[in-house]
This record gives sequence, C-alpha cells and structure tokens, in this order.
Amino acid sequence: MRSRTKGFGTFYLSLFFVVLYFPVLSVILYSFNSSPSTAKWAGFTLDWYRELFSDGVIGQSFKTSIQVALLTSVLSAVLGTAAAIISLSVSKRVEKTIQGVMILPLLVPEVALGISLLIFFTALGLPFGHLTLVLSHSLFCVPYIYIMVQLRLKEIDKSVIEAARDLGATRGQTIRTIIIPLVMPSIITASLLALAMSLDDVVISSYMSGPRSTTLPVHIFSMMRVGVTPKINALCTLILVGTFFIVGLGQLAGKKNRIKEEF
Amino acid sequence: MKTLRRNMLAIPIIVWIGLLVGTPLIFVFVLSFLSRDNLGNIVVAFTLDNYKRIFDPIYIRVFFNSFLLATLTGLVTLLIGYPVAYITSGLNPKRRAVSIALIMLPFWLSSLLRTYGWIILLGNTGIINNILVGLNIIEKPLNMMYKFGTTLVGTAYMLIPFMIIAIFNSVDKLDRSYLEASYDLGAGRLKTFFNITIPLTLPGIFGGFTLVFIPALGLFFISDLLGGGKTIFLGNLINTQVTKGRNRPLGAAFSILMIVLVLVVLFIYSRAAKREEGGLFQ
Amino acid sequence: MGKSLLSLTGINKYYDKNHILKDVSFEVIDGEFLTFLGPSGCGKTTLLRCIAGLEEIDSGDILLKGQSIKGLSPNKRNVNTVFQNYSLFPHLNVYDNIAYGPRVKKSMAGDELKTKITDMLELVQMSGYEERMPNQLSGGEKQRIAIARALINEPDILLLDEPLGALDLKLRKHMQRELAHLQEKTGTTFIYVTHDQDEALNMSHRIAVIEKGRIQQLGSPREIYNNPRNLFVASFIGDRNIRKVKILEGGEGFAKVELGSNIIDIRCVHEAQHPCKSGDTAILAIHTDKMQVSCHEMPNSIKGIVTSIHFAGSQTRIDVDVDGEDMIVIEYLKNECECKVGDPVYLVWEETGAVLLPLEDSEDPRGFEEGDAV
Repeated sequence: MRSRTKGFGTFYLSLFFVVLYFPVLSVILYSFNSSPSTAKWAGFTLDWYRELFSDGVIGQSFKTSIQVALLTSVLSAVLGTAAAIISLSVSKRVEKTIQGVMILPLLVPEVALGISLLIFFTALGLPFGHLTLVLSHSLFCVPYIYIMVQLRLKEIDKSVIEAARDLGATRGQTIRTIIIPLVMPSIITASLLALAMSLDDVVISSYMSGPRSTTLPVHIFSMMRVGVTPKINALCTLILVGTFFIVGLGQLAGKKNRIKEEF
Repeated sequence: MKTLRRNMLAIPIIVWIGLLVGTPLIFVFVLSFLSRDNLGNIVVAFTLDNYKRIFDPIYIRVFFNSFLLATLTGLVTLLIGYPVAYITSGLNPKRRAVSIALIMLPFWLSSLLRTYGWIILLGNTGIINNILVGLNIIEKPLNMMYKFGTTLVGTAYMLIPFMIIAIFNSVDKLDRSYLEASYDLGAGRLKTFFNITIPLTLPGIFGGFTLVFIPALGLFFISDLLGGGKTIFLGNLINTQVTKGRNRPLGAAFSILMIVLVLVVLFIYSRAAKREEGGLFQ
Repeated sequence: MGKSLLSLTGINKYYDKNHILKDVSFEVIDGEFLTFLGPSGCGKTTLLRCIAGLEEIDSGDILLKGQSIKGLSPNKRNVNTVFQNYSLFPHLNVYDNIAYGPRVKKSMAGDELKTKITDMLELVQMSGYEERMPNQLSGGEKQRIAIARALINEPDILLLDEPLGALDLKLRKHMQRELAHLQEKTGTTFIYVTHDQDEALNMSHRIAVIEKGRIQQLGSPREIYNNPRNLFVASFIGDRNIRKVKILEGGEGFAKVELGSNIIDIRCVHEAQHPCKSGDTAILAIHTDKMQVSCHEMPNSIKGIVTSIHFAGSQTRIDVDVDGEDMIVIEYLKNECECKVGDPVYLVWEETGAVLLPLEDSEDPRGFEEGDAV
C-alpha cells in the first residue's frame, strides 16, 4: 500500500515536470531546425543564430535591455539594502510602514502599474527611454531585494552587531565592516534576481520604452505577435543560456555563504 | 530623541516608492473621472461616464471573462499543484531539494519564452498536432490555438509555481503526528486527507490562490499571444485603450476597477487567513 | 580596599511598563572581580548592558572614573563586553576579530598591533590560532578569543555576560579557574554576570545578589554565604533549612528562640536591621551541610526522628522529622552516630551555619514577580 502510493507520487511528479519543461525544451529544439516551420524536422542548422546576430534591431534592443537591467539591479540593490538596514534601527511602527510601502508595487497588477506610470511620466514630461525604464523596473525589484536582505539580517545574531559597537565601532563603521559583509551574499543573489526580472519584464516595459529604446522582451513580443519563426526560438534559447548563467552565479554566491555559516 | 532621528532615515525610502507608486495611482484615479476629445486629448471636466460605461454589456462580458480566467487559473493550479507540493514535502532531503529547484527554476526563465513554447506545441503545425497526425490518431490537425482554454493553459502554466510554493510552505509545516493520530483513530488515508490535511493547509491554499489570482487578471501578453485577441480580458482592454484606442480615461477607469478587484481579493484573503489562525487555537 | 572606579546612583530602567531596575546604586572598586548573581529575569544582564551602553537608563547616573557616561553610545565608553554566545564576527578570522577594536578606533596599527595580538593570544593560551575562522573553534576557544578581543582595547572594566553558560560542566570548572587567574594577571576590573552560585562564590572578590531589579546584598563571598541579609539571599545561596521561629529572648549577638518543642540559641547578625527583639517572629536558616546528626543529647540541639537516609557517594543526606516538619542534613564525613530510620537523634550545627533573619511579607522565599523580563 505504502510503496504503491509512493510509486504513484513519483510518477505524478515526473509527469508534472515533463509538462513543465516540455514547452521550454521544444523551443530550444526547434531553434536548430533548418525548416522555418514547426511542421517537420528538416535537419540541424545554426542559420537562425547567424541571422540573429546580423539583426541590428535585436542587437540594439539587447543592448538597451542589458543597460537597463544592470542600472536597475545596482539602483535596486542600493535602495533595497539601505531600506533593510534602516529597518533595523527604526521604531516598530516605522518598520511596518516601510514594509507596507514595499509591498505596494507587488500588489498592484502590472498593467495598472504600467499605465499609471505611463500617465505619471507623461504628465511630468519625462522622456521615455532608459530613465523611465530603470525607474519603473526598480519599483518591482527593490521590494524583492529588501525582503531577501531583511530575511538575512534577521538571521544575524543581534549581539554580533552589539559587539562591534562595544568594541568601539561607530554606527557607520558597524554597517560597513560587519553588516554589509554579512548580508553580501544575499545582496548578490537578490541583485541577480533583479537583473533577471528586469531582463524579463514585458508588461511595464511596453509602456516605458521610448522610440529609440525598446527592450528585448518588448521587441520579442512584437515579433511573436507577427508569427512563428525559428529566429524567435534561437533568441529565446540564447536568453535561456544567459539566464542559466545568472542563476549559476547566484547559486555560487549562495553556496559560498552557506559554507561560511556552518558553525 | 535618538529613535526619532533614526526614523527620519526611513523617509527617503518611503518617499521614493510612495512617489513612484502612490502618485501615479492618484493620477490614474483622477484621470478616470476625466474624458477625452476626438483627437484623444484629455479634457479636464469631471465625469462619471467612464464608470458608467463599465456597465455596458460588452464591458461586463470582458469583466466576466477576466474574473472567470483568474478563478479558473486558481482552481487549475490548485488541483495540479497541490499533489506536487504534497508529494515534494514527503520526499527525502536530496530529492526534495531537486524537486524544489525544478519548481522554482521557471521563475527565472523568460515568461515570453514559456508562453512561446505553447505556441510551438499547440499550433496547427505544432508539435502535438505533428505527433498526433504522424501516429494516425487524427487525420486533420486539431485547432487548439486562440481559444479561451489556450489562454487558461498559458496563464496556469505561468503561475503554477506560485501556487505550489505557497502550498508547500503550508504542507511542510504540517505536523505529521496529526495524520498519525488520525490513522490511529481509524480514519483511512482519503478520509484523513480531506478531514485533516486539507483543513490544516487551508492557509497555504488561500495564499496560493491569492498569489495566482492577482497576476492572472493582468497578464495581457498571454491572451494576446495564445488567445489571439478572440476573448477580450481586462488586461487587453486596458492595454488597447491606452496604447491604441487613445482613450486613456477609460483605460484609467478599468485600471481602478482592476485594483479594486485585487483589494477585494486581498481583503477576503486576510479575513480568511485570520479566521484560520483563530480557528487553530480555539 | 582600592579606590572607586565605577559608581552607579539611583539607576532605574523600564521596558514598557515593566520596572526592570529599581533604584540601583553601588560602587565598583578598581581592580576587583565583582559578580552580579541572581535568578534569570532578575535584571542582572540589563544592569550589565546599561554599564556597557547597550541599554539606555531611564533615571540615575553612571560615573566611570568620576566622569558621567550616561547617554554615551557604547563605542564611546572605555568598557568592553564578553557576550554570552561569544558573538565573534563570523566573516573574520581570529586575527581580524581581535584586531577589530584597535582598527575601528585607529588606536594601533602595523607591527604594534601585530605584537599586541600575539601577546593577547598568548595571554588566553591561543597562540597560533590567528588564521582560524570562528566556525573552526570550539566553545571554549571561542570564549578565549572573545576575551582577547575585548582585552586588547585595555578597557577600564571588562563586562562578562554569563560567558560560561554554553560550556559543559567540566570545561566550565576549568574556565572558572582560568578567568580568575586572568583577572589577577591583568589587574583589569571584571564585572561578571551569572545565575550560578558556585561560579560566583569561586571567582569573585565581591558578589552583588540581585533579585527583582534590586541589589539584595553586596559583599564578599564569605559574607554572603555566612551572613545573608534576608530570606532571598539565604535561600538563593547554599542549601538551608528554613523555619519560622519565635524569639523568646534577645541577647548580645545571640537570641533564644523556640522551634517547636526545642529552645535553642541562634546567632543574630545585621542587628541594626534586625534587632532580634523578644516576642518577634523571625526566620531561622541553617545550612544543611553545616549540621550534624548526633545520637546523644547535646547542648543547644534540636531533637527529631530520622525518616530517611540517602547515600550519594561523597555525601549522605539524612531527613529528620522535627515536630512534624522535615529537616535535611547533608554529611560529608563519616559520622560515629550510626542511626537508622526511626531512631531519635539530636541535630547540632556549626555556629556560623545558622542565622536569624527578619520575617518578610512574602511567604514563598523564592516567589518571583510575574512580568520580570531578563
């Protein structure tokens, strides 16, 4: 009886993961198909990748995406970490306020947030482009960094911070020499997550992109609406590889952290 | 005194996010009471027209579609995701870590990529049709794209990790001795599952449902790509009103409606969560 | 006695509505080993943290070398703390942990710092551990590094917050001796917090017994042990038989009291507070280990009947029924009186082992107020 349910569990789980990853794997597979249609497999080719690299528009939007994502993750890391560290020393009520404000961007549906920012920035007369993209992306990245850094801060023994003060460190020195180094792995992981989220965002970016600064996902979205082409498959595959690279870096940072923490 | 000075440090952070989220929302709120002229320019005159138009049968239909999609997405992800979370929580540590990693990984993958995968699978010349025709199970390709169901599949696929994680956290906290007590008292596996496990993991179910329901209302690119714009949802409507229809006030009114809907869901969730908590200790 | 180094006057501290420290005043003498001893929740750790500057006081003043340090943040006070869980910086190795204080204060650098750290490691017998990370150290080793890290700053006072609490019994005994030795060697004033009476009695020059936010008694270990000032101190330190007695006749340092059917002479200490007046009810406290069972009637003894005898290795515990109430006698040496259960016996005691205490309102000698936070 027990082993039968266990067998069923393994079967169900395996089936679920197959379905979960099948669409993704299909995209990768068909990026190497020499036929432009998914109707048949016509042999292996790298033509689509070649075509991709010669596409100037994609190159441009890729550059925009990377620039925006890097700026966003740095800005968000600074803001999110600062907010988390400040939360340590404020009163309970102010801490609750910070938490509430942080949750806000995550609660408003993306479409609503996107168009409200569109209307707001239009009214302010801000030029749409890198600036608006970074500002809007930071809105949904800062909360994640804040949450992740705060979780790590809560794990730090409070008396370690007290010990630093006791040994003569000022508040600033304590933050620089003790708190930041201890939460660094979390900051790195969270920044990488922010990087990935910024690189992936379609909805908000579609309102924030300027005439000459379209992000890659917005461009891909418009390509997909036109129709299926293996070029999209190739592009998606490359993005996937890039993402795995980022995830790998994040795992590495996490692992290093864990080794240090094992007492 | 000291705390007061430290509290001041929080002001820039609160202002930063408050300014970037709060003010735009106020703008949208104000805009939803304005109208536009024929050229799409905003006319500054108070009107409730935008809200009245919501009750236009066409828009009621849109509203209903969105609500249906979000609710069904919640149910589908719950039915498929619950066993995944439950089974994962019972695995040995090594397999469990692998399973959790596999559940979490899609968070990192491009959402467009994941949606596009379904186009490749479900299209008329897509992989599933190719296989079915190739095996002579069907003669003509099935028409699976551009339907309500296609959007549902895409949305559920996109959001199921949220549901699983929420339930997993709840199932994992479940004290297994309750289950043993139930077996000990003579209840069968099924009875125990429905009488003990499900009620005790209700907070996770509510949480997961909320986490899935809210984004399901607004993911317009999925219905654009998989639904082909045949069924119109709130997200698509807002998007077209703002970008193509040049009727921003109406788009704003629908955004406010969407936010209100989210608030209602959150309110119900917090009430339910509170009651559950109280229930456990009473 | 040396000169006063630290002086606390009228310290009060509240956590919300809980009154944690109540009008605490005392002096710390330069070079002494002072221990705050009390049950958990009595306020001893809070008091230590107030001296360190980790808690703010609500009223009163703290003078270090005659200068008020009230309101100064911890980094501006020349006192250092050894925390209960050591609190070594997990991301720094032993060398950098010890160098932390001099570096942030920029008080030492280069070769001077290096030499000093070598000296410090030698002092705590941890030479050669410079490169180790905290997670590679045992509890006792962490403890020594934490002490070195504090002492390198040459603090006026070293504050130790139950530093041996996390160690096992054997290591704790060893570290007790080492700490006392270290204090002697460096001449640094130590303020030590513990709930363990043995630790306090073993190491300290003076002990402050604290309960419910007040100092109940401050004195040398011998004084505290032999001449408790009140019922709390008597019952917290050492094991005593505690009885209510009636004073029949007050005298010069002695009083004649009535315990059931026995009439005995008992020492009166602290006469100023407790005049041992005839007719008063008082509390008699006798150390269980300063009593002896005798088979023959003795002068100034208590008559009773043996109800049980427990042999426990180095000691024997004998329960004696005295007029319906149990008295416990702990004997370490073999007694010539070979009594059996049911035998009538006579209890005698060393003169310093028994004391008369004032009767207090509280009936339960160990009753703690609710809401006392640690």
